[in-house]
Parts: sequence; C-alpha cells; structure tokens
Amino acid sequence: MNTQPYTRVDPEAPMRNKLHVLRAERGWSQAELADHLGVSRQTINALETGKYDPSLPLAFRISRLFQQPIEAIFQDDESGR
Amino acid sequence: MTSSHNQAGRTYAIEFGGAMVAYAVVLIIAITVLNANPHGAWRPFVAVAPVIPAIFGVLAFVRFLRRMDELQRRIQLEALGLSFAATAILTFAYGFLEFVGFPAVNFVWVFPVMIMIWGLGLAVAARRYA
Repeated sequence: MNTQPYTRVDPEAPMRNKLHVLRAERGWSQAELADHLGVSRQTINALETGKYDPSLPLAFRISRLFQQPIEAIFQDDESGR
Repeated sequence: MTSSHNQAGRTYAIEFGGAMVAYAVVLIIAITVLNANPHGAWRPFVAVAPVIPAIFGVLAFVRFLRRMDELQRRIQLEALGLSFAATAILTFAYGFLEFVGFPAVNFVWVFPVMIMIWGLGLAVAARRYA
C-alpha cells in the first residue's frame, strides 16, 4: 500500500474497514451479520461501503464477534499507512 | 431489515395504526357532536378531543425512534432536522405574505407540510447511506 504518510483531506471521510471480508469468510449474508450485531441490514451495508462509521459500542460488538481488535478491522487513513 | 428491526417496525405500525384509528373515530364523533350542538361552553373541549389519541401516536413514534439502530436514528435526525428548518422558513414566508394580502391559512396545514418534507428528507438521507 501507499507508504507515504498523508493527511485525510476531508475529516468527515469515512474509515476503511474489512467487514466485508470478515463476513465473507464466515459465509454470512448482510442480514445474518446484522442479526448477530443487533442492527439493521441497511446499517451493515452502509458500514461495508464506508458510508457510515460505527459508534464505539457497535465497533466493540463487531470486534468481539470477529474476535479481532478494532484496529485490525477498521483502518484509520490518517495514521498514514 | 433484520428480524429484530422488522419487529420494531411491526410494533410501531400496530401502535401508531391503533392511535390513528382512535383519532379518526374521536374526530368523527367530535364533528358529529359539534354539528348537532351549535351552542355550549363545552364545545372547545370536544373540538380538541382528537388530540388525545394523536398524543398516543406521538408516543408510539418516540418508542420507535428508541428501538432504531444508530444509523436509522441518524437518518431520522437528518430528515427531521430538514423538516424542522424548512417548515419554519415556509410558514414564516407565508406569514409575511399574509401581511400583504395573501389569504389567511389555517394552522392545521403546518403539520402536512412538516410530514411531506420529513418524507422527502427520509428519502434523501436514506439514499446517502445506501
């Protein structure tokens, strides 16, 4: 990936995440993942497409469900990787 | 929608629908009673009676908001915020126009305006996160 550190131009720009990959590994549909997390399928879709960032409690639920730390699932572009 | 969120929507539909049926019934009774009794100091109480079932509709909506997940709540916030601001501007603008001779419009029209803009706002906000 890009080795040059850079600053996100738009502070509101959503984070990238690998929710889609983790869900695919388990063979779950968006609706099934939604059920596991207690949110709507609409929310899963918005998270996966990077249009919405989860609240901290929801991020922790995702982290617990996939048994990975939050920072392994959500990448902060501003940290410049 | 997942099962728990379908359930939330169903519960809301039942609660809100029930309130609206009660509203329609009370409204019809109130109009009938008012038409049959053109005089009487108690008439204002009968005239506002349909507001009571409407309050149950409001409570159903608040419970629905609380059962939503965080994204759905954000979409509602954006839609309600748009509706709040746009209705304020529209009703103020028309109020000013009434000063220069535009016909007076009853307050009951404010609510349909709010609802229409809310619906529009919901469609716009939902698309942003789709």
